[in-house]
Amino acid sequence: MTSSYVPTGDHGLYEPALSFDQLGERITSAFPDVRVEHAFGELTVHAQPDHLVDLLTFCRDELHCQMLADLSGVHWPAGDHVIERQTSTTGWPEYRISRERGVIEVLYILRSVSHNHRFRVSVGVDDEAPVLPTATGVYRTANFHEREVYDFFGVTFDGHPNMTRILMPDDWLGHPHRKDYPLGGVDIEYKHDKYIPPPDERDLREVID
Amino acid sequence: MAADPTSDPGLGDDSLELFVEGADWESVVDAVEDNRLTVNMGPQHPSTHGVLRLVLQLEGETVERLDPIIGYLHTGIEKNTEYRPWVQGTTFVTRMDYLAPLFNETGFSLATEKLLGIEIPERASALRVILLEFNRIASHLVWLATGGMELGSTTMMTFGFREREHILDLFESQSGLRMNHAYIRPGGLAQDVTDDFVERCESLLELLPRKVAEYEALLLKNPIWNDRLRGVGHLSAEDCYQLGVTGPLLRAAGVPWDLRKADPVLGYEQYDFEIPTETAGDSFARFLVRVEEIRQSMRIIRQALDTLPGGPVMVEDKSIAWPSQQALGPDGIGNDPEYIRHIMGESMEALINHFKLVTQGFTVPAGQVYVPLESPRGELGYAITSTGTNKPYRVHVREPSFVNLQAADQMSQGHMVADVVVVVASLDPVMGGVDR
Repeated sequence: MTSSYVPTGDHGLYEPALSFDQLGERITSAFPDVRVEHAFGELTVHAQPDHLVDLLTFCRDELHCQMLADLSGVHWPAGDHVIERQTSTTGWPEYRISRERGVIEVLYILRSVSHNHRFRVSVGVDDEAPVLPTATGVYRTANFHEREVYDFFGVTFDGHPNMTRILMPDDWLGHPHRKDYPLGGVDIEYKHDKYIPPPDERDLREVID
Repeated sequence: MAADPTSDPGLGDDSLELFVEGADWESVVDAVEDNRLTVNMGPQHPSTHGVLRLVLQLEGETVERLDPIIGYLHTGIEKNTEYRPWVQGTTFVTRMDYLAPLFNETGFSLATEKLLGIEIPERASALRVILLEFNRIASHLVWLATGGMELGSTTMMTFGFREREHILDLFESQSGLRMNHAYIRPGGLAQDVTDDFVERCESLLELLPRKVAEYEALLLKNPIWNDRLRGVGHLSAEDCYQLGVTGPLLRAAGVPWDLRKADPVLGYEQYDFEIPTETAGDSFARFLVRVEEIRQSMRIIRQALDTLPGGPVMVEDKSIAWPSQQALGPDGIGNDPEYIRHIMGESMEALINHFKLVTQGFTVPAGQVYVPLESPRGELGYAITSTGTNKPYRVHVREPSFVNLQAADQMSQGHMVADVVVVVASLDPVMGGVDR
């Protein structure tokens, strides 16, 4: 762990000490197989699961990232995903991705308090049996975050001290934030044995009746 | 290795299990061999801020370990936003942290605007700042009120909620709702403020400093308040970094870290204010920091009111902005006769645009953004992924209450059971935000 640096205005706290180019250069020189991407004024480091913990430790110790600000997941299921360019979106990039296997992307937001920079580390894992090494050894705050990602996406974090559900009930089946998990669809006992389908399966004409 | 998700969270040794059902306390104590007890606190304990359940492992009356059990208020807001157009997202996220609804709306709107690559008008930014800072004051007042109530100061409770109600009246006069406003939207504000807005703000700015002085007179030298708060729930700066703790807790540990200065949005860099810090890192330091933050918020509002620019409060782009400027008609219904005349009588294109905007919403370019915002409880981050459709692909909220709650274990270790109440109060968790 880097020594406790208490930032003040005199130390140029609010000036980024390292630019995105410098950060990207330092990361790629230490980890040659990561890819650095710059979009929307944010830096994304695309890493692999096998060197994830090393990368996070490097960011903490060498790049002054004292804090893991956020950890979240995004599910990209297998299949074709095409968003055509529409007249209303002229000039915007088309979205056209085809995947043979589904991916769960886990995003780590690392933040430096002393040097005031922030970037994202993105790791993809196969969505059928997703396993990632835990970051709790590097940042203790990852504990709740990883439980949340496990709860919502089913990603198991190897070495986590308490890999249990956190927001859903303990006996819940399935992982609700996966794209193949419908919104609603949980059987609820209504009066008169009425069944109300989830919103995306509703027939609006029936509702009017 | 993956643990069985249905298994016990791993509290202590399972060899001895005692269930107390109206037994004599002495018989329970006699049965406990090494003086260790696992006690459940909540989820309906009045001092746990909503439905928070704490499992305490005690040795005697000393807390050895605290496990927060959360999820009782989980409503799937993040999942719900994936099925709604972007504009409706604010209506959902405002229900997360119900004491700071405007921060949630702003965070979602800022992330959407970042993906769209648009700049909102200056007036909208300034009005957002004024409303956010009033919201911060209201949230800190609730903290003072509930914190006071939990420690037996019911006077503070009535004081805090009394002044908060004035701020909520201001919000109600502008958005129609006391809470969950859905007033701040991608592109600006739902509508311009009323003519008496500045006057209302001025009267609040005149009232609040006197009241804050009153709270300090009540609490600052109060021996009970001092004894209960001082030295309880200590967190050093290093602990805060490791546990991801931000907001007043980090500032009470001596780190002048505030995203309004460090990563300013909405033009916060043009306002002159200070970041209050304390070095003690205990619950009393957090009380001092929060009270001073109320003062600094008033400073920001003062400056924002003095320099409030004119002009529109929504972006010009009619494919994003809801074009109607509704006003209350004589029939008591909000309406915009001129706009209706325009779309119904003058322009077919405007009608088509209106129809598409209302039924489909606007599309947002593909990409991933993370927008952090300094909420009353710390870093509120919106991590939004878009694939270029009219709905978000994934909305993740980094809730400060959720992250800060992890620190409760370390903060209460070695303290008495009664201090757990102080620890939870000084964290200021809002369970709507924790569980989302």
